[in-house]
Amino acid sequence: MTSLTQAPEPRTATPPPTPPRTGQEVRAHRIARLTPYGLIVPSVIAFVAVLGYPLVRLAWLSVQDFGPRSLFTGEAPFVGIDNFTRVLGDSDFWFTLLRTLVVSVGCVGSLMIIGFLLASLLRQVSGWARVMLSVCLVLVWAMPMVSAAMIWRWLFEPQYGVLNWVISQLGIFGDFSAHDWFSSPRQALFLIIALIVWKGLPFVALTLYAAMGQIPDDLYEAAGLDGAGRWSMARHITLPILGPVLAVLVLLEVIWSVNSFTPFWVLTQGGPDGGTTTLGVYSYLEAFTRNDYGGGAAIAILTVVLLAALAVLYVRRLFAQGEVEA
Amino acid sequence: MRAAGAPGRKRTVPNVVAVLVSMVVIFPVYWMFATALKEPGKILSATPEFIPWPLSLENFSTALTHGSFLHYVRNSLLVSVSTVLISLVIALGASIALARFRFIGRRAFLVGLVLIQMVPGSAMVIPLYLMLRSVGAIDFVPGLVITYMTFVLPFTIWTLRGFVVGIPLELEEAAMVDGCGRLRAFWHIQLPLLAPGIVATSIFAFISAWDDYLFAYVFLKSQSNYTLPVWLVSFQTSDGIDNGATIAASAIFSLPVLIVFLLVQRRLVGGMTSGAVKG
Repeated sequence: MTSLTQAPEPRTATPPPTPPRTGQEVRAHRIARLTPYGLIVPSVIAFVAVLGYPLVRLAWLSVQDFGPRSLFTGEAPFVGIDNFTRVLGDSDFWFTLLRTLVVSVGCVGSLMIIGFLLASLLRQVSGWARVMLSVCLVLVWAMPMVSAAMIWRWLFEPQYGVLNWVISQLGIFGDFSAHDWFSSPRQALFLIIALIVWKGLPFVALTLYAAMGQIPDDLYEAAGLDGAGRWSMARHITLPILGPVLAVLVLLEVIWSVNSFTPFWVLTQGGPDGGTTTLGVYSYLEAFTRNDYGGGAAIAILTVVLLAALAVLYVRRLFAQGEVEA
Repeated sequence: MRAAGAPGRKRTVPNVVAVLVSMVVIFPVYWMFATALKEPGKILSATPEFIPWPLSLENFSTALTHGSFLHYVRNSLLVSVSTVLISLVIALGASIALARFRFIGRRAFLVGLVLIQMVPGSAMVIPLYLMLRSVGAIDFVPGLVITYMTFVLPFTIWTLRGFVVGIPLELEEAAMVDGCGRLRAFWHIQLPLLAPGIVATSIFAFISAWDDYLFAYVFLKSQSNYTLPVWLVSFQTSDGIDNGATIAASAIFSLPVLIVFLLVQRRLVGGMTSGAVKG
């Protein structure tokens, strides 16, 4: 699974291709043909129940006026596109969308740049240093997001947070003792982005590291003989070859950062004054805090539609690379 | 770029950089354990002490006596284990069908499988809430299993499919040529080879359910029904926030995951990094 080479032609385990003769063989043949359907039916049923139906319900909800009373009566009038026009007419939605894009660009940009540097570093160090750094990365990867968010809160605690102390000691940014990061939306967003980047970095770095391992050494040796420096090797060999992997990583990370909920909710709950609300938090607040389930569903549908374009690109990439034999 | 293949190139500078980077990267995790192990009186100090000495388990005992810890462990385990087991049973067949057979609708299923994993949890939570509410399953711990299957099931099918693809087909064919039925060939040849993949997939699936905060937070109302993440975030003692105990609780919650992850990381990391990017 770790190789980047093209997958061999898709093959299926067919029994030896002798034509069936006896009745028993005909029956066995039929069973063999029906097997895949039998194997997949439980999953199809489960998908329809736990994913298909809720998604249809979500779409249906987005055209209903589903308020607190509907929770008890179970009745919600059909209102057509009213929820959407209301959401799209609210400037809050557009600010939230803009904020989501900024967070996403910040997260993905930092992840890619730092991830690439870390992967290159892993390629250059001795064995012991590689093991040390990758163990650290794996541990960060394993950290549950909830714990990570709790630690973030503690690291940046105004009075006793260790990072405020470190920043004050460095003296570059002035005195940070008693600095409350979470009172300013901008700084709170910065901390949340830092948290998402820290948690996401291991995946990006280790994936790029594995992909770099597939680049033949000869290319670098030849380039070295031609007098290419490290920088131009990275630009003319590593980056072009890693292109497809980078593209897929960017797509995935954009989707994941837009979908991110826990860091926002644990650290700021979208505050102060809604200044750290992104689309996921926004639809949650609309549905569960303002009890406007129809509006929340409309926001969720808009988010899904936005992401769908990226998701389709991702699927096309996956299938185009021939790794998923379709 | 690649010093590994270039003899005589000095690695001292990259090595020093790697040490510094490792320290920065791991610092939050280190600080979690360092804080948790400090004497409670030393946690709130204007100049932080970077090495916890003398060690103290007092924060841990405060954390463990807050609420009914074992109850939350039980809830978390119950939901995560059930989700993984049910998903595995359902997913195994599908993963084999997708990896080994061609059939009508296969491509559509694969595309759907990938797309569905892109739907945010914050979108799923609204209809699921109304669904579970209409059958009276809010604040009902087993009800969470349904919500966790929305992300565990697609992941499990997808990942297992990758592991099945990785098993050489020749073995199975040889067994069938030797007169072994497909079922027996599967039982004796494929399943043993698939076992490590099943374990790795289950562990990862378990962790993603264990870590969930959003669904548990929305669906569980009464304190006795909390899972560990909800307990962790709601952490406040009667005197307000006890930072030492909160961080100790985070450590308790993270430690099993960190250990398991380290144990299985080689298989897991290879599978995950290539799996997500290339299938």
